[in-house]
Amino acid sequence: MVKLQRVVKPRTHKAKLALENREPKLIENTKTALFLHGHNTSELTRRCLKDLFALKRNFAKHMHQKNKIMPFEDIVPLEKFAQQYDSSLFGLINHSKKRPHNLILGRMFDYHLLDMVELGLEQYKSLTDIPGTKVSVGTKCCLVFCGPDFESDEKYKRLKSLLLDFFRGVEATSLRLQGFEHALFFFLNEGKLYIRSYKILFRKSGMRKPRVELMEIGPSSTMTIRRTKFASKDLFKRACKEPKKLQPKKKKNISKNALGTKLGRVHMTKQDIDNLQTRKVRALKSDKKSKSPAGVGTDL
Amino acid sequence: MGHSASNQHKISVKENRKKKHLYFGIMALDENMDKIREIIASAEEEIKSIEVEKDIPLELDLGNLLVTDINEIDKGKFSDENEVEEYLKNLARDGVQSILNAVYELPTDTIDNNIYALIPKPTTRLPREKPVPKPKPLTKWEQYAKEKGIKKTKKPTKIWDEILKEWVPKYGYLKAAAERKKNWVLEVPENADPFEDQFRKMSEKKKERIARNEYQRLSNIARAKNVKVPKLGVTSETMKSKFEMKTALEQTRLSTASLGKFQKTLQKEKPLPERKRGEKRKLPATNNSFAGIEQERKRSLKILSKMKKSELDYEMAVNKQIKMENVQMSHTGKKNANSGRRSKRGGRQRGKSEYKALSKGLSQKIKSKGSKGSKASKGSKGKQSGGKRKRK
Repeated sequence: MVKLQRVVKPRTHKAKLALENREPKLIENTKTALFLHGHNTSELTRRCLKDLFALKRNFAKHMHQKNKIMPFEDIVPLEKFAQQYDSSLFGLINHSKKRPHNLILGRMFDYHLLDMVELGLEQYKSLTDIPGTKVSVGTKCCLVFCGPDFESDEKYKRLKSLLLDFFRGVEATSLRLQGFEHALFFFLNEGKLYIRSYKILFRKSGMRKPRVELMEIGPSSTMTIRRTKFASKDLFKRACKEPKKLQPKKKKNISKNALGTKLGRVHMTKQDIDNLQTRKVRALKSDKKSKSPAGVGTDL
Repeated sequence: MGHSASNQHKISVKENRKKKHLYFGIMALDENMDKIREIIASAEEEIKSIEVEKDIPLELDLGNLLVTDINEIDKGKFSDENEVEEYLKNLARDGVQSILNAVYELPTDTIDNNIYALIPKPTTRLPREKPVPKPKPLTKWEQYAKEKGIKKTKKPTKIWDEILKEWVPKYGYLKAAAERKKNWVLEVPENADPFEDQFRKMSEKKKERIARNEYQRLSNIARAKNVKVPKLGVTSETMKSKFEMKTALEQTRLSTASLGKFQKTLQKEKPLPERKRGEKRKLPATNNSFAGIEQERKRSLKILSKMKKSELDYEMAVNKQIKMENVQMSHTGKKNANSGRRSKRGGRQRGKSEYKALSKGLSQKIKSKGSKGSKASKGSKGKQSGGKRKRK
């Protein structure tokens, strides 16, 4: 008899929930990040990773041990980590003579690599380097991307998508108007990426909308873009697939014309003309008298 | 916090009016100039506009609180480091301001004296974390129920037990305890073996039910994954392939008293093949008979003729000998010569021309093989002399 592969049921309720939480969902969980140290790290990159972790604190895991992982050479160990910790974003730092102060940011789809970009830190100011109050943990930050390359170049378009994915945080439905605290700014110029982090301050403007002022809080960094590995268009398209259930249903019989006027088509049942009540005229009245042809003239 | 000239700010009408009013105040009160100046300064701060004007309007995605500015970069600012920071800050400020302007126009909701803006869904398409979930495959029962239109009916979870006089759950928590309480004694059914352990029988039956259920669960999983699973019950390991099955079936059809002569063929069934009787193996005759002895003699002679060697080919033997000696020589000579550079060893051990000569000699040998006679002996002589030279 063929030996059946054991399909083990979770024994505890907790384990069952944990497994369910890992399964693919219609509306997905917020992506979590995994922060790792490579074979060799520098003080600068370590501080950078710590700050990145601080930015993503609620949805991240920081691993402090060194791992001999070179994602551009072999991605498999990283994919294993991703599966183990069920996280689809990763940030890995390493430092070598060839590529000093290296930060690799990436994302996965179905526990397999999708996009990955290697950034070299040139200037770095950490959260602690800049004095002053910081923002509270878990606030949704405004993301500002600046630079014509972000739209024109396919490579930087993907980079923007990756950074957006990395830093956007929880998908919110409502936000407190006074709760806007944090802004991240990404600026691209001649292959260099400038990342700045600001605290948002509200000033009076004499209107309901406040005037915004910014105060730098760190981390602030200037990076060069080194190696990149982006998913093929086909794979990316597959990853971006929206479930049919979430797609809005098309409403029937509603259309818009060229001027933008909403038009509706209404279907009616067929009118019963036989029993239609028309104007009541004596002449049309059918009574016993009218049946005789002589009677018609005399009545009038 | 200052602003570059490039950012044009409009001053709204309302704000303008405020300013005029303040100026009027200055003229009226000369003594309190300092105080008024302070007020002006604070008012000036307030007056800064909230409008953002760009050549290309900013692209907003409020679901992600994302703004993209694709306006041309002022590259002149990148020469001075301090100027760069200020420039970047201004760009960021404009972006954030435009987000907030849009957010303040969204419909709001008030909860606990806090005003919340209702954020629309993100418009930027981002890749999913995991693929879109597939619908859970139906179990065999679910499929059957769906076909038949059987709908689940809610059944009570507890049943009144007449013996215990209490409500007993159908399954799960406290069911086992109730069962234990109820079955402290078991009746031996009629016609049953009186020495049979009824408790054991019951527990075994339960175990069987559990096993069956587990099997069904697994087979449902297997069906969902399209894996072949052997059927419940006795499975034969002998007939694995279609061919084996076919031969077995033929065999059974033939295995009647009349060797399948009156066997009916079913519809679409192939007629029985004609029984092939296996060819009888003819064993060699025994040694005792005369014919047997004769046969054996022939057989052995045949083998002997195969074994018998042709006459000694002198030429071949000599060549063989020479070759062997050559090989031995080269081995002994190269033992020391192999170390170090070839140039120091005195160049190539064997020239190309010598190789050619060797191959020619070989061709001669082939020719000589074809025609036996004087030519062959000549060839052999030449070869011999060559060998002699080598030995020197």
